[in-house]
Amino acid sequence: MEGLNFNLIDISYLDLIISLGLIIVAAGISKWQGMYLEGDLIVGAVRTFIQLLAVGYILKYIFAFDRWYLIIFIILIMIIIASLTVTQRQKKRTIELPFIVGFAMTAGSGITVFVVTQILLQIKPWYEPHYLIPLAGMVIGNSMNGSTLAIDRIDSEIKSRKMEIEAYLALGATARQAAGASIRAAMRAAMIPTINSMMVVGIVALPGMMTGQILSGTSPLIAVKYQIIIMYMIALSVAISSYLLTNIRFNRYFTSDHRLKEESL
Amino acid sequence: MNKPKIELHKIEKNKNGITILKDINLKFSSGKRHILIGPSGAGKTTLLRLLNRMDEPTFGEILYEGRNIKDIPVLELRRRIGMVFQIPIIFDGSVKDNLTVPYRLRVIPSPIKQDDLIKILELSGLQSDYLERKASELSVGEKQRLTVARALINKPDVLLLDEPTSALDHAAGIKLLESIKELNEVLGLTIIMVTHQLEYASLLGGRIIHLVNGTIVREQESEDFFLNSEII
Repeated sequence: MEGLNFNLIDISYLDLIISLGLIIVAAGISKWQGMYLEGDLIVGAVRTFIQLLAVGYILKYIFAFDRWYLIIFIILIMIIIASLTVTQRQKKRTIELPFIVGFAMTAGSGITVFVVTQILLQIKPWYEPHYLIPLAGMVIGNSMNGSTLAIDRIDSEIKSRKMEIEAYLALGATARQAAGASIRAAMRAAMIPTINSMMVVGIVALPGMMTGQILSGTSPLIAVKYQIIIMYMIALSVAISSYLLTNIRFNRYFTSDHRLKEESL
Repeated sequence: MNKPKIELHKIEKNKNGITILKDINLKFSSGKRHILIGPSGAGKTTLLRLLNRMDEPTFGEILYEGRNIKDIPVLELRRRIGMVFQIPIIFDGSVKDNLTVPYRLRVIPSPIKQDDLIKILELSGLQSDYLERKASELSVGEKQRLTVARALINKPDVLLLDEPTSALDHAAGIKLLESIKELNEVLGLTIIMVTHQLEYASLLGGRIIHLVNGTIVREQESEDFFLNSEII
């Protein structure tokens, strides 16, 4: 890989602890302004510290161990945690919801990661963890946000469009046709943050992964090329997962004979 | 009495442990006007919604032209039995866009005939130059006429009307009822309307079905019914 004449400064644990000072200042501002976020900030900072360090050690071990089943296992764990996180954020939690989310995210992330790593980059071996794990992580993380928005929105749209949906049904529409506007609105809600970030990437903000690559000594041009692919991957995976999610989720509001279930609203 | 278009046999409807309708036996004659009247909570709207399967009865069966409605594909049933709601629900776009929705909902969209649209629009009491107007800019009365016209696009045999005048002022309400009466007389549509306003019931005329607490307490032709209306 093309590198720069650049000496990477390793960050010591003492440096990390000192950097916690940034959080203490933020907590101070929160206290001063009466935001009541000090507790959350401290807990968040400690969790960031522990979770990321733990991941660092796990990744170090996985990269050294270099077995395909371990990489797939780690990616599955990411999807399970993301699915549970999406479910937890919903007001209407149903037993099947984490499974639906898991399915939608596996399909969305799986297709995009497969296309990019196996067809485009043709990584060798196919499970090369240096590529597979960060790419899957980026895509799953963004699909998680898209999925949360999609479910939240389809639930609220169907509720608020109840009369319109019934008007469609009374005209002989199928449940899918009657819920069409709600499904479209939910998919748009899921996609818009991704589209917005594609519009301003590099201008308003430098993406985290690209920044990381540059900091670790990769040429900015290579980092940028990777980032471009990642943005496209995120767009496709959010589109696939939100499409699947909304199209499965709307069914819970209808009976098989195209009737709106009053009790599910 | 004409041949029954719709028959209800021993209908009962319970919701959340509460009985909304009990032991309803009723016949709606083909090509006639029927009015369901009664106080709020009598079960009028619930009964209406059972007829095109927007809701399901807990017990009993409903026949459409002698066939159990459960044996008729539900989308086909809803095209044969049109429905107009209390609040006019208008879709985005022009009057024409609204009228063409039923065409577009079909698996194989049938060709739209401009003449048909105009005929239906005029039958519903709107002029042909309304076609290109933005539907959201119509008055409430005009919007309700548009929902009637939209329901007619499917060429139904029966039209269910759930308090169609309740969102309209008095004059608009009367005009709408005149159009409904005309639809019944010109097209031979079977009309089933819910209202709690006796004046509208008497204006439309037809068979009056009086519901109280989920049961039919009286069923008479309007002329006979209003001779003795203090019972309500």
